[in-house]
Amino acid sequence: MRSLFLSMLWVSAAWAAAETPSPAEVAYAKGTYAEAAEQWREEISQAGATAPLLAALGNAEWKLGRKGRAMICWERALLLNPYDPVAAAGLRHAQNAGGVERPASSWYEDYARPIGANAWLLLAVGAAWTGLLCLLLPRLRRQPAGEWNQRMRMGAVTVLALCIPGLWGAYTHAQRSVVRRTEVSLRLTPTTLGEPMIGVAEGDVVRAGRGFNGHIRVTTAAGKVGWVRVGEIEPVATGGLPMDLDSKGAP
Amino acid sequence: MRLLLYSLLGLSFLGAARGEDTVNWEMTPRVAGPGQPFRIQIRVTSESTLHTPKSVAKELKPPRGMALSFSGQAYVSANESILNFSGVAPTTEGVFIIPSFPLRFAARIITVPDMPVHVSRATGYQPEAQARAELQLSERTYYVGELIAGTIQFRNSSNETVVATYGFEAEAEGFAFQIASDRAAPAADNEAGLQTSFELTPIRAGESEISLRGIMLVQTGNRPVFNNAGRDRPFALRRRLTVEHVPERGRPADWSGAIGSFTAESVSISNEKPEVGEPISLRAVLTGTGNLDRIITPELSGGDIWDVLPIVERRRKADEQRIFTYTLVPRLPGKQRTPLIRFSSFDPTTKQFQRLEFAAQEVTVTGNAPAKVDLITADPGAPAAPGTRPIIVSGLATPTPSAGSFLAPSRGPVAPLAASVSFWSLNALALLGLLLTSAVILTGGYLATHPEIIRRWRARRQLDRCLAGATTAQRQADTTRQARWILEGLRTGCAALLGAETAAMTQSDFQRILPAAPRPLLDQLTLTAEGEKFGAKAGPTAALDAAALPLLRDLRRRL
Repeated sequence: MRSLFLSMLWVSAAWAAAETPSPAEVAYAKGTYAEAAEQWREEISQAGATAPLLAALGNAEWKLGRKGRAMICWERALLLNPYDPVAAAGLRHAQNAGGVERPASSWYEDYARPIGANAWLLLAVGAAWTGLLCLLLPRLRRQPAGEWNQRMRMGAVTVLALCIPGLWGAYTHAQRSVVRRTEVSLRLTPTTLGEPMIGVAEGDVVRAGRGFNGHIRVTTAAGKVGWVRVGEIEPVATGGLPMDLDSKGAP
Repeated sequence: MRLLLYSLLGLSFLGAARGEDTVNWEMTPRVAGPGQPFRIQIRVTSESTLHTPKSVAKELKPPRGMALSFSGQAYVSANESILNFSGVAPTTEGVFIIPSFPLRFAARIITVPDMPVHVSRATGYQPEAQARAELQLSERTYYVGELIAGTIQFRNSSNETVVATYGFEAEAEGFAFQIASDRAAPAADNEAGLQTSFELTPIRAGESEISLRGIMLVQTGNRPVFNNAGRDRPFALRRRLTVEHVPERGRPADWSGAIGSFTAESVSISNEKPEVGEPISLRAVLTGTGNLDRIITPELSGGDIWDVLPIVERRRKADEQRIFTYTLVPRLPGKQRTPLIRFSSFDPTTKQFQRLEFAAQEVTVTGNAPAKVDLITADPGAPAAPGTRPIIVSGLATPTPSAGSFLAPSRGPVAPLAASVSFWSLNALALLGLLLTSAVILTGGYLATHPEIIRRWRARRQLDRCLAGATTAQRQADTTRQARWILEGLRTGCAALLGAETAAMTQSDFQRILPAAPRPLLDQLTLTAEGEKFGAKAGPTAALDAAALPLLRDLRRRL
């Protein structure tokens, strides 16, 4: 009876400890967003990036008016966990209230979203291994393939075929980049004096293509295609914290 | 009749003949010192009637570095005209040619020939002795968009006074040129004369030359200006300037074209205790030298606390000030701080970017916060419970950084699996291992079902050894050893081909594989090799030498 009571006490203490808000959360709640962002950045640097941490950091950065950083954090959070509610809400808020433009998802990106890039990759690799082993084992054993072997072979090929659009959707989704600089011009040619066509704002999400001559070919949410300089956008798929452009650019 | 004809012809020749035009010119002084004013008088004589020539000033093309202007015409007679020109010699020595130019009179166009102007320091001319114009423009690299302040100083001398200037012309390709003040008193109290200030703004990078020309009116001694002694004196000033773009290296993201040396002078607010929704004015004063007019007003981010209304611009160029005025409307009550006004500028003298920041001001906002209606959306993380009202929060959901899920663990580094080198390396290693294992198993199985492959391979190796041994024994003339090697080779090869044991091979078995092999040779070979065991005598060995080794080679080919 006593041990049961102690166990319950330990569980309740652990539960209470888990529910205690961190200093960063307290700072965020108080409105000192700079302090909250600093602490979450430190936490990510030490323990690694997770979707909830990145989403929380994105909120703090948005509150501080750093659109580009916030968008990077939210996009990366969604890359890690497509169902993260905070990141999804942040992106929706940025598009509705913040005027940020984000390319519409294609059908294969919508198809890929439910289970995420990692799960698609694991499924595809598992199916490929299963099919390969089903193909090789009867030959190695010098026996005809049994009924179960045939079924597994067909199942593996089917799963692999279903994974292909998912993998492609995850890949194209990861090709997105966020504009990190203010007053970025979409240039007609990848040259220093290339003719500016339109401007893209900080925080806008673009699809990045090939690079050339220190520039990257991008497609905006409106479908405009042009070139921007390499340092003006940050790819979403690199993971981790957003680039610190302020300290580098300071004289 | 003939006489009449000759008379008419002679009269027509006389009528067609025209008098010659004469052009003489004289320069005073004949040799000028560098920068010394001079006068040129051109005397034109013609049989035609001469009036005032047209567009003389436009036809003049003085050489580089020389100032030259048309001063006027002195009337002598209907057929003679005197034209006066005044100029200032270049500042370098040499002979400068004033190119030939036409004088367009009403009836005639008379061409003035090339006029050489000799400039030499030997004249002993002192530039300070006469009134002069000097260009004051610092020697350095300029930047596109920069505001360059320049001055033309018209300096008096001991005997001459500059009383006025006129006809100012500027050629500044690649620059925007503007006169700031004309014919003003010099800035320094101890200087006499006049000064004209101008502003240049480079509009493209590269090397460009500016050329400033005009005429100054010089009074000599105490005589009035508008008498004969009052003289117009042209001036021509040139300067080559190097213009570059502001460096991209280290250029801050918020730099918007400010070039110069600026100071954040002051920042103030109109009301320190406003109510929620009551507009207040935030006023920031920027001072310094540079392109104040070209600075784009910094944008302010009000965030959730402030609404920033359109900016009112005030420019006080005379005080070298720029005033940024913002209208702020507080949204929330409490102690708040106004948004920071930040911007970057480039200092052309130090060639460094500097960041200026106007300090945030503390404001105590009273009153109550209005309901948030503009940014309200449903909380995406709220549980869907039928019959209950959704929790209303702002557009951003409340962060839960410690939450975790099946696909995204709560702690630990999570990176996209596709970017993991170890994942792909492990898969590649496993695939390689599988392929190697499969290859080994398949090869082993094949060899197990075809044992003759290994048997023949071994027989070939043994046969090679026997051939080598037999050849060696033949060289040593050891017939018995040679016969033993050959017999062993025949047995090994034939056993591999027949699938039988090596020790059981007889001469008949040899003939099954090698039908062309003569039986007596095989018998002799056997007797020589193994006759001692059974007490038999060996036969002649000559035939063995000639035919035995080819048998082995034939057998090697069949394996």
